[in-house]
Amino acid sequence: MSILPQIVLSGLAQGSLYALAALGIVLIFNAGGIVNFAQGAMAVVTAYATWGLLNGAHVPYPLAVALALGAAFALGVATEMLVLRRVADAPPLTQIVVTLGLLMLLTGLVGIVFGHDPRSLPELVTLPSISLGSLILVPSEGFDLAVLIVLVAALMLLLRRTKLGLGMRALSQDRFAARLAGISLTRVLSLTWGIGVALAGAAGILAVPSTTLTPATMDTLVIYGFVAAVFGGFGTLSGAIVGGLLLGVVDNLIKTYLAPELSLSVVFALLLLALYVRPNGLFGRAVVRKV
Amino acid sequence: MVSSAVLSFARSERFALLALVLAIAFPIACGFRTYPLFIAAQFAVFAMVALSLDVLMGRSGQISLGHAGFFALGAYAAAILSARFDVDLLAGAIAGAALAALGSLIVGLPATRLSGHYLGIVTLGFGVAVAQIALKWTALTNGDEGVHVRTIHLAGIVLSSPLHVYAVAFVALAAVAVFAARLPRTRLGRAFAAVRDSEIAAAAMGISVARTKVTAFVISAAIAGAAGALYAALTGFVAPEDFGISQSLLFFAMVVVGGTASTAGTLLGALVLDAVSQGAATVGGLSVALIGAAIVAVALFRPAGLKSLWRRGEGSR
Amino acid sequence: MLQCSGVTVRFGGLVPLDGVDLHVPDRGLFLVVGPNGAGKTTLLNVISRLVTPSAGSVRFAGRDLLALEPSALLYAGIARSFQKAELFVGLSALDNVLVGLDHRRVPERAARMRALGMLEALGLGGVAHVTAGTLPHGYQKLVDLARALVSEPKLLLLDEPLAGVTAAEIPTLLRAIRDAARDRAVLMIEHHLELVLELAERVTVLDFGRTIAEGPPETIRRDPAVIRSYLGGKAVEHAW
Repeated sequence: MSILPQIVLSGLAQGSLYALAALGIVLIFNAGGIVNFAQGAMAVVTAYATWGLLNGAHVPYPLAVALALGAAFALGVATEMLVLRRVADAPPLTQIVVTLGLLMLLTGLVGIVFGHDPRSLPELVTLPSISLGSLILVPSEGFDLAVLIVLVAALMLLLRRTKLGLGMRALSQDRFAARLAGISLTRVLSLTWGIGVALAGAAGILAVPSTTLTPATMDTLVIYGFVAAVFGGFGTLSGAIVGGLLLGVVDNLIKTYLAPELSLSVVFALLLLALYVRPNGLFGRAVVRKV
Repeated sequence: MVSSAVLSFARSERFALLALVLAIAFPIACGFRTYPLFIAAQFAVFAMVALSLDVLMGRSGQISLGHAGFFALGAYAAAILSARFDVDLLAGAIAGAALAALGSLIVGLPATRLSGHYLGIVTLGFGVAVAQIALKWTALTNGDEGVHVRTIHLAGIVLSSPLHVYAVAFVALAAVAVFAARLPRTRLGRAFAAVRDSEIAAAAMGISVARTKVTAFVISAAIAGAAGALYAALTGFVAPEDFGISQSLLFFAMVVVGGTASTAGTLLGALVLDAVSQGAATVGGLSVALIGAAIVAVALFRPAGLKSLWRRGEGSR
Repeated sequence: MLQCSGVTVRFGGLVPLDGVDLHVPDRGLFLVVGPNGAGKTTLLNVISRLVTPSAGSVRFAGRDLLALEPSALLYAGIARSFQKAELFVGLSALDNVLVGLDHRRVPERAARMRALGMLEALGLGGVAHVTAGTLPHGYQKLVDLARALVSEPKLLLLDEPLAGVTAAEIPTLLRAIRDAARDRAVLMIEHHLELVLELAERVTVLDFGRTIAEGPPETIRRDPAVIRSYLGGKAVEHAW
């Protein structure tokens, strides 16, 4: 029993990455009604950009991370402006096709540029672990959680205090009213994509040190991000955060007590179960179609 | 109007036949060497899966981003039955189809209440989960090492050369193509389309929307599963890496590039993308990038896909 | 045959239907009229099981309709058309009508003949093989009607069949509705009263979710409550 708090703690740390991934997905979904299936590939691009800056250009690590996140932001903005804007009113299938196409395109390009050999990134925080009775605090795990908290706080400030945030909230609620209020929706949407992709990129960079980096690394991370978003009802940021953290803990419990190799399958089964019982997610609302 | 409809149908059949003839002729032109036979037979198997996906996506309007999962279930069922019990390919294919159909219930049942993006996520997760189970349930699947198929025999006849498997694959593809092409002119096919186009009107016309959606999933998965059994017979070896996200996305791309709700379009899309992925396979990532670029371009500029070569004025659905 | 009693629908704070009673016998055309937002379409949606009322009962031929799935209604003998046609846009007009026959498992060849005959009767023979989604709106409404009619229902529900239909198509449409009402019950919502009032046997007037008048057309025409609420106090003859 004494390892349970430890498992929960590591689960929360892992879950903060899922929460970041889910936040990016939900932010973009709320603003434009599009699920970005390329989110994982974009996280991969960010991680490889960091790796390239670090090992190719020998930029200091923190600066490399900052530059890579800037690139992720630019990638998100460019994707919205150049591609997604053209299918804003297309049927869902077309939108899904586009983001899947981007997923393949980016994954393929990363493979061409960087090859398929596994790469790695160093830990961002390299302090020794702290023992607190039976509990061991791993600084890098605490760092993951701290990043989540800081980014969420920043996001809240952005949403509540800035004109861009007002636009983002308006987009997710009532486009017509937002337009009346004189908010340029196209610009807000582009910037939202930038922020959403940067969040995915942050999750990607944080995830790499504990695994290895290949063009397909982020498939799992993003599927967990989707699951977290669905758990949270796919529409609220708080749902995404809670969903992500919850998923991290559940995942860690499965890995410890059930079968480490089947965690994704069990999580997927939980997702199906949740959707079957509540088709709009655990915290979601029903949508009624009018004749 | 009537005559133009008939004309366009004939044209679409011509394109489909062209695709088939090219694929069948390729190994013949290469003098029946093993590798071209293998490539052509593999196309036939992939095209079967693409057609099964179009039955689901094009005809019944439900998305699947995890069709490699059904394909894998069929392949593993047939391979394991062959490796352990020396089971006949026909029985293996039936078992594969049945297992895939059973698996489709897992996603098909929630799918009755989900649509669009949600269903995309669920099916994507399904595909990944199947591949992961195949990798980790080593007692059954040998994990990374894969399962080696024993001698392949069909209805008692030993398929000793690639030529035999090639012939069987194309006969099977032809059967699936005929089924897919006839489906829209049957009661079931109309029910699929009704559910795709308007669930409310479909229900008003006495169609049980939930049952129809599940039926589409089951049929589609069964075909993909049977194709998986053939794949096991063709390669003689089944391993998890053949059934990842990228394989699911390849099937998806074949349908989208070819044009949904079109048998001829899907066949053509399968041919083009299979050729791209074979041709560019030597450079890591190139074929994936090309196919990705292709489906983005299709979605942006030609939502109807390759079928717009013979059909005009239709968007993608 | 159709008996609605005290049907009430609540959506949050809204009450689109508030204790509506409606009786429709075996044959004839029954008209439901009222201003926009009166609850007409909601009533039709209740009968076709798209909306479940919070109170009241709906019985048809002795059965409790509220216990049925929407897809069971056609089997019970109830078919409907839609205000916005709701066609299966990817199917041809003919295939749309064929769907109306599919629940009976009519052999394909015989079904095609009958569906084609139905389209021809509505003047649509020439577009039978055209993809429904590409047809002009008026044609789509006719195909929608054909799809419902071909199933030979005992009760036909029509939601504004004349809306969006061009003047040239109206006589055909009216004839089809009149013929249909000869040997079955037709419950119709329609705004073009000048065209349909004479065909109707009885009329129910809804306003704000309540029945404000009910009776044969001649009575309705002179009902002061109807004139006040539905016609905004304008002279009846002028408005109709």
